[in-house]
Amino acid sequence: MFKAIVSAATLSSTLDSVSVLVEECKIHLDEDGLQIRAVDPANVGMVDLSLSADAFESYEADGGLIGIDLSRLEDIAGMAETGQLVQLELDEETRKLQIQIDGLEYTLALIDPDSIRQEPDIPDLDLPAEVVLEGRDINRSVTAADMVSDHITLGVDDGEEYFYVDAEGDTDDVHLELTEEDLIDLQTGPAHSLFSLDYLKDMNKAIPTDAEVTLELGEEFPIKLHYGFAEGDGQVTYMLAPRIQSE
Amino acid sequence: MADWTETYRPTTLSEVRGNDKARDELEEWAETWSDHRKAVIVHGSPGIGKTSAAHALANDMGWPVMELNASDDRGADVVERIAGEAAKTGTLAAGGAGRRLVILDEADNFHGNADYGGAREVTRVVKEANQPIVLVGNEFYDMSQGLRNACETIEFRDVSARSIVPVLRDICRKEGVEFEEDALREIADSTSGDLRSAINDLQAVAEKAETLTAEDVVTSERDRTEGIFDFLDTVIKEASAEEALRASYDVDETPDDMINWLEDNVPKDYAGAELADAYEFLSNADRWLGRVRATQNYSYWRYATDNMTAGIAASRREPKGGWTRYGPPSYWSKLGRTSGKRDTRDSISRRIAEREGTSLATARRELLPYLKTVTHHCSNRELTVRMAAAYELDAAEVSFITGSGEDTNKVAAIVEDAEERVGDRVLESGGDAFVARENDGEKPTEATDAGGGADGNGESGNDGDGERADDADGAAEQDAEGDDQSGLSDFM
Repeated sequence: MFKAIVSAATLSSTLDSVSVLVEECKIHLDEDGLQIRAVDPANVGMVDLSLSADAFESYEADGGLIGIDLSRLEDIAGMAETGQLVQLELDEETRKLQIQIDGLEYTLALIDPDSIRQEPDIPDLDLPAEVVLEGRDINRSVTAADMVSDHITLGVDDGEEYFYVDAEGDTDDVHLELTEEDLIDLQTGPAHSLFSLDYLKDMNKAIPTDAEVTLELGEEFPIKLHYGFAEGDGQVTYMLAPRIQSE
Repeated sequence: MADWTETYRPTTLSEVRGNDKARDELEEWAETWSDHRKAVIVHGSPGIGKTSAAHALANDMGWPVMELNASDDRGADVVERIAGEAAKTGTLAAGGAGRRLVILDEADNFHGNADYGGAREVTRVVKEANQPIVLVGNEFYDMSQGLRNACETIEFRDVSARSIVPVLRDICRKEGVEFEEDALREIADSTSGDLRSAINDLQAVAEKAETLTAEDVVTSERDRTEGIFDFLDTVIKEASAEEALRASYDVDETPDDMINWLEDNVPKDYAGAELADAYEFLSNADRWLGRVRATQNYSYWRYATDNMTAGIAASRREPKGGWTRYGPPSYWSKLGRTSGKRDTRDSISRRIAEREGTSLATARRELLPYLKTVTHHCSNRELTVRMAAAYELDAAEVSFITGSGEDTNKVAAIVEDAEERVGDRVLESGGDAFVARENDGEKPTEATDAGGGADGNGESGNDGDGERADDADGAAEQDAEGDDQSGLSDFM
């Protein structure tokens, strides 16, 4: 059983943060909210999202699992105007999702969850450095790096205590340093890893510019990015594996 | 019911059966990967455990797997984005030091439309990879040489029946299926080295029978296509009408081709009255094929097949035996040999049809034979020249119609005369046009010089001569520019 009413904006940002990595996903409909966990086809990027029942106008669920085609549902959510509410109801008989937006009814065929790529186990990582900054700083870094290269180095200078972004192109370079004053918070530790910009660009698209984003970093280790949405009732964690730096 | 080939897929390399040497090589490759950092090509027949071995290896080594197989869209961009990224990136659990196994299944098949450019991209990914890659394929030599040179190679051999039987026995025990040892051997023998098919066959048989016996296995043999020669033997020598018809279901030939095979080979065994009967049926069959062509109603094929197979079998009056050398239809080789001649004939007929206002078929069937007769060996020279001039024939074509040698002086002289007449005719009827063109060329402006020079030029083809003659300078100028874009001056 699943029946919920949610604002179109919340639904869209939920779907957008997952669709940057995968086209289809499983959604766990738990009693206290939704859970989505997915890994991209190359096994390089991962998303772990939870949206608590408080983010909904009304929410009833008893622990079901559904599989959805994200772009379909995104398109439907896009039909709603700002501030409109979307009603979702699972028809257990037909295994279809009934969606209502102000009189518009859409019946969405679900995907067999078994046919969707397995959900990843979340690796337990202890990353030494932690940087808290605004979404717009990530946007600046990624956009600038993208002008010169297709990968980006993120690191923390342990001694001087600043967070830095490096991108080296064939002819041009980009460098950005953010000290503790520019950041919301900084815990220094040895951190220096190279990442694919394609993935960070996609993740950046989903991160609101005014969100408070926490980065966890290590030496040639995956990065973790956390941010909240839907006024703190939703939580997203991205993980991205580092590029191997060929010697 | 779950697919047994999935249920009993090996989870560790030690469970991979029948290819011990290849298996050990694969393990060795993985363990020494950090030293050589090369990709490996695993190749061999279908169903012998190549992909299973790759997955089992990853499991043994504790490496996460990224697999791209033929059911994915595998264009160059996808290969680059997914396989390329996976091959250059560390893992989510262990970062840059973590290993991941990239499996590219059916790597000999990165071509065709969906895979366009995929093959080249695979080679690039393999060369730039920082992670171990296994390429799995059937045909080693279907992979590009660049790719083969960049990789190590491990060959998986067909699994011997002796190794297949124990696997089947294991599965039967685990599934609680009673079996006769002979039944398993029968399955193993009939699948000739393909372990996956053997397991599929076992499951298919086990679903029907309580206890597996050799008879169950024999009656449930896989569908397979019968060779055309065996089929001819059956229809012509042995089968009853019904058997002959049934035999045709297993043959991979369309009725259009089948009738040629039968028609050409029946007289090798039949003679006299029975041959006449057989041809009666073949002629019926041919009429049905004609109806199919005319109406595009392919359900008529069944009547064609009935007639040609059952008809031939029913016409047999004497028992046949022995061995006959059947051959491919001579009709086909005749078509091949005569294709040049038929092209010439059709090209002549087309010009006749155009000039005389008849259909191509009429020109070919009713006009061409008369022309051949009246110009036979060019004995009526004047008529031959007129014909050559009328249809603008060259030496080869004159030779085709008259039967005189193409290189003879006689034919060459006729063609020459004919060309002269064609030239005269053009001058006569086209006189006006040439005069107009000359006037045009004499216009003193610069622009029309370019236009005049374009006499035989495709660009000016859409401007009629007359139009240009009484057009203003602006249009001529535009012509000289050589495109359809109007200039500002056109509006001033």
